[in-house]
Amino acid sequence: MVAFLQNIIAGLETGSLYALAALGLVLIFRTSGVINFAQGEMAMFSSFIALTLFQHNMPYPVAFIGAILFAVALGYIVERVFIRPASKANLVSKMIITLGLIMIFSGLATAIFGTDSYFFRKAITADNLNAGGVIIQPNALFIIAITLLIMGILFYIIKKTMVGIAIRATAQNEKTAKLMGISVSKIYSMSWIIATVLGAIAGVLIAPTTNISTAMMMDVHLKSFIAAVLGGFGSFIGPVFGGFSIGVFDNLVGYYISLKWKTVIVYGLLILILIFKPTGLFGKSYRKKV
Amino acid sequence: MNLLKNKAVQYTILAFVVALIPLLLDINRSTLTLWNMVIIYAIIAIGFNILLGYAGQISLGHAAFMGLGAYIAANLTGNLELPFLLSLVLSGLIPMVIGLILGLVALRLEGHYLAIATLGFGVAIQQVFKEWTAFTNGFSGVRADNPVIFGLEISEREHYFILGMIILLLLVLFAHYLLKSKTGRALLAMRDSEHAAQAMGVSLFKYKLIAFAASAFYAGIAGGLFMHLIRFTEPNAWGITLSLNLLAMVVIGGLATIGGSIIGAGFIVMVPEFIKDIEFLASIKSFATIFTGFAMIFVIMFFPHGIARIGTQIKIALLNRRNSRVDKGKGGAPNGRSKG
Repeated sequence: MVAFLQNIIAGLETGSLYALAALGLVLIFRTSGVINFAQGEMAMFSSFIALTLFQHNMPYPVAFIGAILFAVALGYIVERVFIRPASKANLVSKMIITLGLIMIFSGLATAIFGTDSYFFRKAITADNLNAGGVIIQPNALFIIAITLLIMGILFYIIKKTMVGIAIRATAQNEKTAKLMGISVSKIYSMSWIIATVLGAIAGVLIAPTTNISTAMMMDVHLKSFIAAVLGGFGSFIGPVFGGFSIGVFDNLVGYYISLKWKTVIVYGLLILILIFKPTGLFGKSYRKKV
Repeated sequence: MNLLKNKAVQYTILAFVVALIPLLLDINRSTLTLWNMVIIYAIIAIGFNILLGYAGQISLGHAAFMGLGAYIAANLTGNLELPFLLSLVLSGLIPMVIGLILGLVALRLEGHYLAIATLGFGVAIQQVFKEWTAFTNGFSGVRADNPVIFGLEISEREHYFILGMIILLLLVLFAHYLLKSKTGRALLAMRDSEHAAQAMGVSLFKYKLIAFAASAFYAGIAGGLFMHLIRFTEPNAWGITLSLNLLAMVVIGGLATIGGSIIGAGFIVMVPEFIKDIEFLASIKSFATIFTGFAMIFVIMFFPHGIARIGTQIKIALLNRRNSRVDKGKGGAPNGRSKG
């Protein structure tokens, strides 16, 4: 029982980060119809910025905020330079552009930061708590709390504010949104910025577990895809649910079935979900019109 | 002269001429290894182009098929001591069967979802390579011997180049005739609109499976050839990096052209070599990756038909400009259609 709870907590910790990253993916997909395959590499780049600031004797919060500010700029630039000029291109071309971005960012990171792997500190370094044999790291609680907080703010913005209404309107129908006086290009910029920031936060928070290296986000990024697929690209709550469940599932499979074959089982699950329920648990199916 | 206009004859002549170059000139071994790599990548790129360029199905997991082909070739010639040619055919056929399964998955998915599913497939298979040590020997890697054909051992790169060129030629001709036939037209129809193709009686089931099977077969053959050329492999070679490079080859070279696939393969292999010679660029680590990424985005944005068709595209653009200038000179509407 203790081991089970221990795994659940560890699963929720990583799962919340998958959820953050997945939320970024879905936000971009819903507004601009692009799946950002480069989100993981962009988050890795932002994490390196945090590391660089930290190495130059900046306090941890400054490094964290520095990474977020960098992510804001990065998201804006990527959208303006690479995505917007191709807004009329077909779906495969857009996908190819974000796949090209993977090469650019991983190449740039190798060129600037090298191929070494660096240790990065945890956000909270207090002693572990012991709740009836289950060891809880304060850092895990902090991560879960901060992601829930961020998601709460995001959902408030999406549901209650004018910006949120504009985002949802753009997601539903770009042309009508334009006719209603919404500056659709601003919404695009904004969703790319928010998504990049979400990715960067996930990157900085996962760094103590994975260490910071050019390959650090591979796993998180792929898991965030599974989270988005599981929850469905059609809703904003879906990926959050998907993120938490994939985090927990991943840990349980690793503990009870096989640590070696965990990855294969989890990706097998991904393909099964895609085959049997491509719209995800929360997605609505729609009929494609010719 | 009509014979020379036949594409198949052109391919054959070109292949024979190029295959003989290394015998005539004195080229060092490492350069010839690169030339051989171009052939191997060209094979997988042609297969991938059938899938992406003609059938319009994206895959981010095709490195797995090539890896599978490599491991199968190593095991069949090493452990089971099968003859090289038989093992090469099998290293294409077994991935083909798995490609059929992926094709079944693709029947239910399109666009983004297919990309994500194949990405997951690629990662899962790479993980299998890492863990299934009986088959792959894990990170220690497997070795293979020089290929032996009818008692002749091929140890020189020049000879391997000829062997590779013959196989490439066979596969080019197969692709050429496949794509010129009813199948090719059905694939293009499916790419442009699945619904319209279905309405015209094109069986999506059949043609998606054909596209996936063919591309997996080509990838497996490329893997088998790679194994006997480099004679060593380990799981890290078969990851997302290779799948992305493959995509770059096809996009940069030209979607839906056989020649473009070969040009793209040359681009991917040769760019790092050219960069090595330029001191300033060589000092930037992984400049080749950055450059390839930019090149892929640049090509897809401005020359969506790839390098292979840049000439045609520029010609058309110039013609259009001249036409519009002529029309302006007349002060009339273009093509004189407005009055009608």
